[in-house]
Amino acid sequence: MKPGPDETATAEELRKQIAAQFGRSLHIRTLDTGSCAVCEQEIRLLAAPHYDLHRLGFFFTPAPRHADLLLVTGPMVRAFEVAARKTYEAMPGPKVVVATGACALGGVYPSDPFVHGEVDAVLPVDVWIPGCPPSPLALLHGLGVAVGRLAEKTPGLTFIADGDGGGG
Amino acid sequence: MPLWFARGLRRGVVTTRYPAGPDGSAAALPTPPAFRPVKLTRELVDVMISVCPGPALTRTADTLVFDVGSCTACGRCARVAPHAVTPSGEFELAATARSALVKRIPIRGGQR
Amino acid sequence: MTAVEPRAAAGTREQLVRQLNGLGGLEVTGRGGTQGAVTVRLLPETLEAATHVLAGTAGTRLADMFADINGDAPTLRLVWAYEADEPGYIVIESEIEGEQYPPLSDIAPAAFVEECEIYEQFGIRPAGGKPLNRLMLPPHAEAELPTLGREPAQQPEEVHAPHLVGGQAFEFPFGPVRQAGVESLYYGLVTSGEEVVDLYMFTWHKHRGVEWRLRGKTMHEAIFLAERAEGLSAVATGWAFAAAAEAAAGVTPPAAAARTRAVALELERLYNHAAATAALGQATGLSVGQAAAEIALERLLRVNAAAFGHRYLFGVIEPGGVSRAPDAEVLRRELPGAYDELRRTADALLSTNSFVDRLEACGILTAEQARRLGLVGPVARATGLANDARLAAAGAAAPYAGHPVNVVTADGGDVFARFQVMLGEAAESARLITQFLDGGTAADCSLVAPRAGAGLGWAESSRGEVLAWVALDEDGRITRARLRPGSARNWRGFDDACRSQNVFTDIPIIEASFWLTVAGMARLGG
Repeated sequence: MKPGPDETATAEELRKQIAAQFGRSLHIRTLDTGSCAVCEQEIRLLAAPHYDLHRLGFFFTPAPRHADLLLVTGPMVRAFEVAARKTYEAMPGPKVVVATGACALGGVYPSDPFVHGEVDAVLPVDVWIPGCPPSPLALLHGLGVAVGRLAEKTPGLTFIADGDGGGG
Repeated sequence: MPLWFARGLRRGVVTTRYPAGPDGSAAALPTPPAFRPVKLTRELVDVMISVCPGPALTRTADTLVFDVGSCTACGRCARVAPHAVTPSGEFELAATARSALVKRIPIRGGQR
Repeated sequence: MTAVEPRAAAGTREQLVRQLNGLGGLEVTGRGGTQGAVTVRLLPETLEAATHVLAGTAGTRLADMFADINGDAPTLRLVWAYEADEPGYIVIESEIEGEQYPPLSDIAPAAFVEECEIYEQFGIRPAGGKPLNRLMLPPHAEAELPTLGREPAQQPEEVHAPHLVGGQAFEFPFGPVRQAGVESLYYGLVTSGEEVVDLYMFTWHKHRGVEWRLRGKTMHEAIFLAERAEGLSAVATGWAFAAAAEAAAGVTPPAAAARTRAVALELERLYNHAAATAALGQATGLSVGQAAAEIALERLLRVNAAAFGHRYLFGVIEPGGVSRAPDAEVLRRELPGAYDELRRTADALLSTNSFVDRLEACGILTAEQARRLGLVGPVARATGLANDARLAAAGAAAPYAGHPVNVVTADGGDVFARFQVMLGEAAESARLITQFLDGGTAADCSLVAPRAGAGLGWAESSRGEVLAWVALDEDGRITRARLRPGSARNWRGFDDACRSQNVFTDIPIIEASFWLTVAGMARLGG
């Protein structure tokens, strides 16, 4: 469903608001909807000395009430749906949902009786971060995009190599 | 705790400059493939699709449709088509629209 | 419920197999020096007697129990690890007519979790009417989930171990959404204040139906999902799974490929033990120690990426061998510094009394508990039990046969003992990697031709023994895949370790010392 001109303007305003509000200090609640546990390990390393997300004003919080951003891993196991919705609904607006990892983006499990196959089936995703797992650098980039501090690269990438390789 | 304090000083700072600057460790990360259209034939693309463990690769008559979001950079397509596939080197893949992660690559090699 | 105590002295595995066969065996397969697993097919009437024999022999351990269905009647399979002079496995299997089979967990308490699984998946239960827990089905909903076999006649109740409560006690649920950066896990915590009276866990919210989804796939298609059943044990799980297919097909990986697998497995062990060290630092509130261990962990992950192209070593194992060889030069150059970072951090931690004090006498498991529950890995070895799946070498190219592992054990069974075992194993891993590199590594595969068969595979992950069993049809497609990561074995020891005089704040410390995953438990069939 393509956004109309009014909706596009609202999305742009929202982005500006998010950048203004979260750009300097962001609280992140993580949500595991059925991962293989590796995405969580990379997420934990964001707080480790090599990456130190605190220097960018990002913090983890256990309380959804304090959270601005929901960082979601896993293919959304159906039995977890209730817990996922409750966590999302417990977060006050404005809030951002980031789906991270191939499982969360529909790349590993198809929709079937056990799993939805992607986070977007249950929660409204704002930012998608590919990878299996996304490395801490990729996660930092994704978080930067989510708060409007970093530019997206993917729209401009073609993944076409013309002889000398490279993403184009 | 003098033991830890001294250790910390000796160890120094290991924190990356990223995103303010590049991080050398990125060079060793697995990245999604980039494709060479002139080397892609429909048969080769079908072989690549058959070895892809997820839904990242599909095709139309003359286009390889590559869903970067579903790609795990497993390297299977590169192994079966080493002349047509090369690592893209791209790891900054976050997108604000799911559709931005779906790429179309022309199958210029055509049908043999 | 009295467990059978092992009385009979360990004979050879051959003697044991003959004894079982003598009870009423129908068929014995897999005999022979190149295979580490022997399968004895039994008449249903002799299953109980066979279990008595096995449980009553010293040096055996019930490693797994699962079922399968071909046609009308399910087949029940028990995998016994045989740990005397020539370690290996004995699989006993029997068709179950009707709905019940002999009550085995009375003989071998290590089987209770599996009895619950099997009931949910195949509708067969041990005789005796003992209540069974739900494992895969969420308690709050009547989920319509496909099973691997038959629906149970009655949905299992949700019963956890009865607990005796002294004074006032209350029970509160914790999770599945827990602190940031950890997997979802549901605890039911029974407490009279600070003390942990009882603790039970459910993992239904993460059950992805991996075993169910593997059916119909070829092994080459399936390895992708198998290594993601418990991604932090991708090499170990992938290796066990590939080895099961190789056993089914009668194929051995080339020697250089086997050594490549061992290099990857030891790298996996190293980074997991570094991660557990960091988790211990976090759980004890020693942030600086945590940070130091995380520096070591990050260095080890970068070594993995430089050597094998993936920080978590995904995509190395292939049925028949390996798809990638390590960059030996980079590995020789970078690994010593990364391991040394871990070793120096561990030395500093061991010199920090406030840290060591939190670990000692915390989360104690006795050797008796570990044996009774069939625990594996550092958790078991920290109680003094010396089992290690790397001792059960299989096939002429089994890499550990030429490079024997010094199995690390400790006494005391507390968090401190588990930490010491992990550190000892890390040193051993660094040593073994050098030896395997010296022996030569290569990206090579033996062809696994599609044909019908079944086989057992195993590997020693950082969390303990991983088992895998596959049955393939004549097109080489999976009709039944069983994955049993170390986590699936060891979570049942977590409740015991958390009871016995521990308080709330000890729980994260004990959890870090077990270093299991929820994913490894929640990978079941239907």
